[in-house]
Amino acid sequence: MTRLIAAEFRKLLTTRLWLWILLVSAAWTILYTALVILLNNRAGELVPALSTTAGQHALFAIAAGGAGPLVAVLAVAEVAGEYRHRTAATTFLATPHRRLVVAAEVITFLLAGVGYAVACIVINLVVALPWLAGNGIHVSVFGNGNAGVLGAVVISVAVFGMIGAGLGAALHNQLVTVTAMLLYLYVLEPLISHIASLHSWTPYLPGVAADGLTQAIQSGVRLLSPWAGGLVFAAWALAFAVAGAAVTARTDIT
Amino acid sequence: MVEDAGRIVVSGLTKRFDSVIAVDDLSFAAEPGSVTGFLGPNGAGKTTTLRMLVGLVVPDAGGATIGGRRYTTSAAPGREAGVVLEAAGFHPGRSGRNHLRVCCTACGYPLSRADDVLERTGLTEAGGRRVRGYSLGMRQRLALATALLGDPAVLILDEPANGLDPEGIAWLRNLLQDYARRGRTVLFSSHTLPEVEQLAERVVIISRGKLLRAGPLAELTAGQGGLERVFLSLTATAGDSPRSGGARS
Repeated sequence: MTRLIAAEFRKLLTTRLWLWILLVSAAWTILYTALVILLNNRAGELVPALSTTAGQHALFAIAAGGAGPLVAVLAVAEVAGEYRHRTAATTFLATPHRRLVVAAEVITFLLAGVGYAVACIVINLVVALPWLAGNGIHVSVFGNGNAGVLGAVVISVAVFGMIGAGLGAALHNQLVTVTAMLLYLYVLEPLISHIASLHSWTPYLPGVAADGLTQAIQSGVRLLSPWAGGLVFAAWALAFAVAGAAVTARTDIT
Repeated sequence: MVEDAGRIVVSGLTKRFDSVIAVDDLSFAAEPGSVTGFLGPNGAGKTTTLRMLVGLVVPDAGGATIGGRRYTTSAAPGREAGVVLEAAGFHPGRSGRNHLRVCCTACGYPLSRADDVLERTGLTEAGGRRVRGYSLGMRQRLALATALLGDPAVLILDEPANGLDPEGIAWLRNLLQDYARRGRTVLFSSHTLPEVEQLAERVVIISRGKLLRAGPLAELTAGQGGLERVFLSLTATAGDSPRSGGARS
């Protein structure tokens, strides 16, 4: 298994997409960190005042957590890309046990997700802490439960990576999978999760569960607690991974 | 099963795609120490057969073994068989050397094997370049390099001469014959008769997924006026005309 994960990392790092995704994740983090700070205490505020605990949690969850969907896109592009570029045959010739390959892919993007999350958290802190200090707001990374939020961000981005790998293995089509995933996360799910009459089950949707994990603020949306949200989100990832393995195992590579 | 070492045995292989029967109760063997040409019109089922041999396509019935074992159950499949697929896939943004290194890592070979096979296939210079810039012939060489990584007992090649210039074909012939001389098994598919005549000692001829004839090339063509006449008369008897469009079989 270690060998297969090493091979997946070698695949990931020998093309350039990982770097582009890292740059976009970094840009997102810088942009959102700046927005949240600039709009602090102004009309139409994005998050509660940054001098409060809730405001600081939101700053970390929103800015650093943006890497999640991007890592999922990276995972889909890499895993489903095996079918687009017809490298799946080479992969399964080297390792005919296809379920193991899918497991290695899922673990690889879990680990990659940790890496992207840590990078974005560092960027987030480097931008936010001096800036806020300049405004007279002193934020302690380990105080106010902030460390817990940052930990949740790491888990969230890692699980997004697993979800991307599972979906890519289940659907095999890069464009369809990325489009469907982004439409779901940014259009369909926000619409559904704001309907109050559905609030008994919308917290269990993947993206809303992820928001529960990091407690990213979405007014009018019911969230689970971080632990429950994390468990539900991870359960979705496992379900997609199992589906991906099952589909991949019985696909004819023609 | 020592007597099966390096032997490819196909027995009763059958595969349907929707309503089309691609391979129909096909049985044959390829022996160590020889180059076997797998011949048939476009759409005869050659590619499907080769892919079933190595577990990429799952047969509806029958099975195939390499060295007495199914490829997918082998602990070190890359050492059992090296495979060159038709229109083999490479990520266009990855260099040839990195493509090979990925395979080395997955199979547990030392990374230096990548450089060995690049040299063996004449790609040392091109190894650092991204595959995007490779010609068809270079891609074929890279596919062959991939197959050679595990120094396998068996080579299975689907249309390996596609895209090679005459010099490349001569080089391929030497490589395959050298491989067979060392007691290993080579099975390659082709729909071009001269290629088979140049490369193979034994032939397996199929049409519409069914076996028409198998045996030593010399025996098959003796007194028949060449492989072309034998092939055309066999496929005509089988009620076959080469199907249009070069459909993937």
